[in-house]
Amino acid sequence: MTTPFLQIRGLRKTYDQVVAIDHVSLDIKQGEFMTFLGPSGSGKSTTLYIVAGFQEPTEGQVLLNGKSLLDVAPNQRNIGMVFQRYTLFPHLTVGENVAFPLRVRRRPEAEIKAKVDKMLELVHLGGYRDRLPGQMSGGQQQRVAIARALAYDPPLLLMDEPLSALDKKLREEIQFELRRIHQETGVTILYVTHDQEEALRLSDRIAVFSQGKIEQVGTGEELYERPTSRFVAGFIGNSNFLPVKVEKLGSGRARAVFPNGQAVEGDASAFASGSDGTLMVRPEQMRIRPGTAVGQELAVTVRDMTYLGDSMHFAVQTPWNQELAVRMAVRDGQGLCIGSSAVLEWDTQHGHVFA
Amino acid sequence: MSTALSSTTVPVRRRFKLGPGARGIKLLIPVLLLLAVFFLVPVLALLLRSIMEPVPGLQNYVELLGSQTYVRVFFNTFMVAGVVTLITLLVGFPTAWLLAIMPKRWSQVMFAILLLSMWTNLLARTYAWMVLLQQTGLVNRVLMAIGVIDEPLTLVNNLIGVTIGMTYIMLPFLVLPLHATLRAIDPSTLRAAAICGASRWQALRLVLLPLALPGIASGALMVFVMSLGYYVTPALLGGTGYMMLAELIAQLVQSLLNWGLAGAAAFVLLVVTLGLYAVQLRYLGGGRSGMGDR
Repeated sequence: MTTPFLQIRGLRKTYDQVVAIDHVSLDIKQGEFMTFLGPSGSGKSTTLYIVAGFQEPTEGQVLLNGKSLLDVAPNQRNIGMVFQRYTLFPHLTVGENVAFPLRVRRRPEAEIKAKVDKMLELVHLGGYRDRLPGQMSGGQQQRVAIARALAYDPPLLLMDEPLSALDKKLREEIQFELRRIHQETGVTILYVTHDQEEALRLSDRIAVFSQGKIEQVGTGEELYERPTSRFVAGFIGNSNFLPVKVEKLGSGRARAVFPNGQAVEGDASAFASGSDGTLMVRPEQMRIRPGTAVGQELAVTVRDMTYLGDSMHFAVQTPWNQELAVRMAVRDGQGLCIGSSAVLEWDTQHGHVFA
Repeated sequence: MSTALSSTTVPVRRRFKLGPGARGIKLLIPVLLLLAVFFLVPVLALLLRSIMEPVPGLQNYVELLGSQTYVRVFFNTFMVAGVVTLITLLVGFPTAWLLAIMPKRWSQVMFAILLLSMWTNLLARTYAWMVLLQQTGLVNRVLMAIGVIDEPLTLVNNLIGVTIGMTYIMLPFLVLPLHATLRAIDPSTLRAAAICGASRWQALRLVLLPLALPGIASGALMVFVMSLGYYVTPALLGGTGYMMLAELIAQLVQSLLNWGLAGAAAFVLLVVTLGLYAVQLRYLGGGRSGMGDR
């Protein structure tokens, strides 16, 4: 077993009485695109800033290739970083900004020139060498920042919400660029964002942060299909949360009872242990069909429907007056209108019960 | 905007564009009048006297720039102003930086101290320095008590005293504009420099100083120009042996009634000041100020 490329071990940071992060541990493989996803104040940026060296942990360890980073000053860590706001040096041209990390390392002039050309090529800004940052758009500035952060071939690139100041279209454009740059350079990236779509689009793996702790680590698919907590289920993708009581039935089966006494049965492994809980079903996993419910079928009323082009969005009301979201192909929604009675269905393996 | 309308809208727009500028000039008229009556006219009168008294000609300027006594006064003036500017910069830059990065509660206290000292009567402050710096003053006694010196140093009635007193008085005039410049610099720019591998010294030299240059230049120019014409502090702390230009002018007018020579001296001072200002405008005003839109 080789040592992981970057190890974050039991990291803890407190300010006075406030706990910013609480025993965060994570291993990151070389070349991996790892995203820290979470709402603001969840500790994702604090963790990143400790890796960068701008903050010191109260407890814990950060190891790069098995060696501690904590005793190394930020300027000796040889890490690349792109910040939330464009932090280019406003008095230097684009070329000089990219050359900056090489100049402070006193590399020979010929090498600097070649490297600056190569980096500007990488971010598709070849003709912008002599521009000043103030003369460029936000997206261009952020691409220069990426070129500057990669100019000295750092083994690790940190990105602190680098696209949050850009509009949606530019954001998607640079996300695409980032994936390409990641593939071309093979650099390990630690990326912080609060945008779940961005995280899904970019990452090999995602660590979901909440209240200073990592809730779950996994690929986007794992987090979406098999969330281990209500928080992760709610943060990644849209979800319906139905209040249930779980009853074990024996022989590996269990059932979840809704407030009105109706129930669904399923494999016990899909039903977390514990009695009271929440059943989570994604809107696109639910179906409704016109008609009256028979037996254990769930009767709902259509409250609202929205045509979204590639799909239909329904808001339906349950017998216990909860509103749920259902998303279906347009043709499957035919025969339904606002106010009509319908039957709600989903496959039991798509239901997840959390305590 | 539709093209059909453009032929009629363009003149209207142009008039509108001129509007604020023209109004601005109108608003400036009272100030311009005030300056014309109380600044331009006296200066011209002075210039006139310097070339008309006692007889028409440039003899006042010849005397001023030819006599060793007067040249020494010029030398003293520029040297003191230069040294004061230098020391003020060395002390003021860290102070302004500290004010820019410290928590707001503390910077407010620091500002209050800075401004209170600025608002205290100049004479009172200068006399206070005389008391502190004299042979048996606090500074000499402390230095002797801790064994740095054996005999009291002569700190007043010479240019050392003038420099100390002036530096103290000029400090706020540098710190205030510099602080404004420094506070506009995004702290993460310096973080970026650090993560790029710059040492503290490199970050200061390659990032912070270039970005602070407009503030440094305007603050330094302010201090230098004010120091050139300063009267009270040099007069009280410098004694009679080490005269500066403002004192010379006062003496020429009050004791010797030589308005011509005094006018020449004042005019030379004004020309030098305007020249410095022009240099600053040429090299640091507008264009690449480093503080472009972000």
